[in-house]
Amino acid sequence: MSRKYQRRVVITGMGVITPLGCDIDSMFKSLLEGRSGVGPIQNFDASTFPTNFAAEVPGFQLSNWIMDCARWDHSGINSKFAAAAAQQALSAAGLVDALNSGKVDRNRIGVYLGSGEGIHDFHNLMWETANSYEPQTRKLDYPRFCKGGRETFHVGSEADQELHTTAMHLAAHFGLNGPNFNCLTACAASSQAIGEAMDLIRIGDSDMILAGGSHSMIHPLGVTGFNLLTALSTNKANPQGASRPFDKERDGFVLGEGAGMLVLEELEHAKKRGAKILAEMTGYFTTADAFRVTDSHPEGRGAIACIDGALKDAGVTPSQIGYVNAHGTSTQVNDRVESLAIKHVFGEAARKAPVSSIKSMMGHLIAAAGAVELITCVEAMRTGWLPPTINYEHPDPECDLDYIPNKARQAKAVHCLSNSFGFGGQNTSLVVSAYTG
Amino acid sequence: MWCFPGVWDARGFPEGTLVTDMVSSARRGVVTGLGVLSSIGSDPETFWQSLLAGKTGIKRIGLFDPSELPCQIAGEMTDFDAKNFLDKKDRKQLRVMARTIQLAVACAQSAITHSKVDKKAIDLTRFGVIFGAGMVAMELPETADAAAVSKTPERGKIDLKVWGTRGLEVIQPLWMLRYLPNMLACQVSILHDAQGPNNTITQDDVAGLLALGEAMRIMRRDHADFFLVGGAESRVNPMSMTRQSLFLPLSTHNADPASACRPFDAGRTGLVLGEGSGILAVEEVGHARRRGAEIYADVCGFGAAFNGKDQAEAIERSIRIAMAQAGIGPDEVDHVNASGMGLEKEDRFESKGIAAAFRGRKDPIEVTSIKAHVGHLGGSSATVELAAVALALRHGLVPATLNHTVTDRSCPVKVIAGQPRPLSRPYVVKTSFTTEGQCAAAVLGRHQG
Repeated sequence: MSRKYQRRVVITGMGVITPLGCDIDSMFKSLLEGRSGVGPIQNFDASTFPTNFAAEVPGFQLSNWIMDCARWDHSGINSKFAAAAAQQALSAAGLVDALNSGKVDRNRIGVYLGSGEGIHDFHNLMWETANSYEPQTRKLDYPRFCKGGRETFHVGSEADQELHTTAMHLAAHFGLNGPNFNCLTACAASSQAIGEAMDLIRIGDSDMILAGGSHSMIHPLGVTGFNLLTALSTNKANPQGASRPFDKERDGFVLGEGAGMLVLEELEHAKKRGAKILAEMTGYFTTADAFRVTDSHPEGRGAIACIDGALKDAGVTPSQIGYVNAHGTSTQVNDRVESLAIKHVFGEAARKAPVSSIKSMMGHLIAAAGAVELITCVEAMRTGWLPPTINYEHPDPECDLDYIPNKARQAKAVHCLSNSFGFGGQNTSLVVSAYTG
Repeated sequence: MWCFPGVWDARGFPEGTLVTDMVSSARRGVVTGLGVLSSIGSDPETFWQSLLAGKTGIKRIGLFDPSELPCQIAGEMTDFDAKNFLDKKDRKQLRVMARTIQLAVACAQSAITHSKVDKKAIDLTRFGVIFGAGMVAMELPETADAAAVSKTPERGKIDLKVWGTRGLEVIQPLWMLRYLPNMLACQVSILHDAQGPNNTITQDDVAGLLALGEAMRIMRRDHADFFLVGGAESRVNPMSMTRQSLFLPLSTHNADPASACRPFDAGRTGLVLGEGSGILAVEEVGHARRRGAEIYADVCGFGAAFNGKDQAEAIERSIRIAMAQAGIGPDEVDHVNASGMGLEKEDRFESKGIAAAFRGRKDPIEVTSIKAHVGHLGGSSATVELAAVALALRHGLVPATLNHTVTDRSCPVKVIAGQPRPLSRPYVVKTSFTTEGQCAAAVLGRHQG
């Protein structure tokens, strides 16, 4: 590994809220068991939608994690997921008490999230739209809409839909007074947030950053949007078999929801306060396809540059990568182009690199996906077990890598690559490594 | 390389903390092009002349009938048409862009043209796009037919079973892509083949300043040489205005829109929204020199901080970090281009934070704000204001704060009002923040060759 950075970045705390478990251990156990978290959508009546299933977080209550949670009363579920995962991560890092007792400098702890937007008040918004609309003339009566909206929209929840609020709540609640960022780059958001957070620490702007993401698009407008783009699987006959990354019969992704949070910390800082070091963040690169808003570049131009850049940033060769956590959405295009990009960068080493997509089990957490997937890499290194790609039945000649089909595998990985590719051509790759001193 | 002791101590950093100094660092950034779309001008020259002349773009809303809203005024761009900015071959894409995204691509084209960069001569894999953006306002006609078929007689209840079938049939397939916040930066990357780092930061008023800080950081880690740093936002939209009228302290000074926004003034009337876009071409100085680019300003320092209880402290700390990074002292700063929202609480904590950061300066620090000219532009506020800073450094003149007559006694700063004044010192500090305490500051300087 290269030592080009004077300040090295390690992970000292992690937390998750996912459809397969609301703590690291139960999530990872479910992943190794190859369980699917997919079921009929409960968040709203999706029975007639082309897609009526998703992977939801069951029975979530923020008060199970944070007693004094009144500031989130009107927040969207995305902000609440973020708060619960952040509480886990900060407490695992021993920071909740340290912050309260003034043992760490809160000015040197920042927040960098890739968290999704709040959720529109669908029923009131659409009802007031319809009530102001004359379908024959296709004219909207705007004064009528404004009046109706002002009567029915809820002040608190409208304010909390704004995109800066999730990161603000975490910083305010936990007293994290360093730089405060949130980025929203579709499915790459939380990976990009973690990468940029790493850079903030490397360069000396912060000593610790709470980084990660949270999201839920399992709501009427979210499913509407993805269904219209024909991006979601419509395999109503077999919802738990619907997310089948790299399988020839794949027909789209399955929505998931949740959050993943990590405490990134400068190595010497972590050592000095005796923090438990879970892994080291070693590589990050981000590129744009600059091709089309809906499709990846067919030859994987951006993805190749991204994977290659991350390995170089980490100073590791492809043959040193013991596990690739793929973006692996289960759409035709993504899985083909991602396999192509891995082969292009890895060359011969691609045959030996185990690759899996946990989206086969927990669906696609959109902005939050990258953070949860990076955490999965850390757990894979710590336990010596790699999670499988479930529902893998029909090999696709264009996807011809080792996808760890259907069963978890015992294997020692020292360096892992985690890919995230988003709508609009956003690519981010991270390399995380076992901390060896 | 290291900043002087006074600032160092004030930062309260633990000893031995690495601080990279942008000025002496080999890879530093310069501003080499500007794009501005605003209610007072849609090119840098017109915008600048309007700032100097004290013109405001704040007027009664004309894009829709605002008569049922308490606030009926905004900094609206009445004649904006993105087609006028784009090549014919690129215009087709406009169909899948909400107004906010159209503002971004139009402004990006202006900034590229203004920078005179030859895209064939630069490494496009090292061309980054870092933007600030907010929620992209939904355009109601897009879903009105779907809403109409699935409305029930009960107020606030849509029949989801109908929406899921007949509703979905009458919405355009690419509907969602019109509103994703990352589509500003993505559409810009597609139009200009910018394959480098691409990010969208969403901290409202401070987003564009955070984007500048991030671009500088990426430049220092040597992953890009040329950037478009910017933002765009249109808040003059029925849905957006209805929502925001509920939770923002908007001005209801409808009788006299031109005087409604009054930064740091004792007679404030509230916040006024607007629309526009500001995009800077920011470039590594060697890269700029090699291609013979005209340089408008140096980007010398950046700082960001948060404080949910004492926002003034976070403003002060951001400024101190930015000045430390620039390696300059308080006496070298000409003025602060403030956010200056024209709100009591915000104006007070901003000015207190600024005053505290410049404690020890020989004379009082002066501030100016262009909010009264263009309004609060959300995700594009900071970069439109940065464009004003670059123009001030370029022309050696500071625009005066419009509508400022009597300074609020609780704002401990000297406000530049009345007439523009000459710029007499080489650096300008730009501050931005959210009401909840997410703050940032940047130092821009007169280009030193």
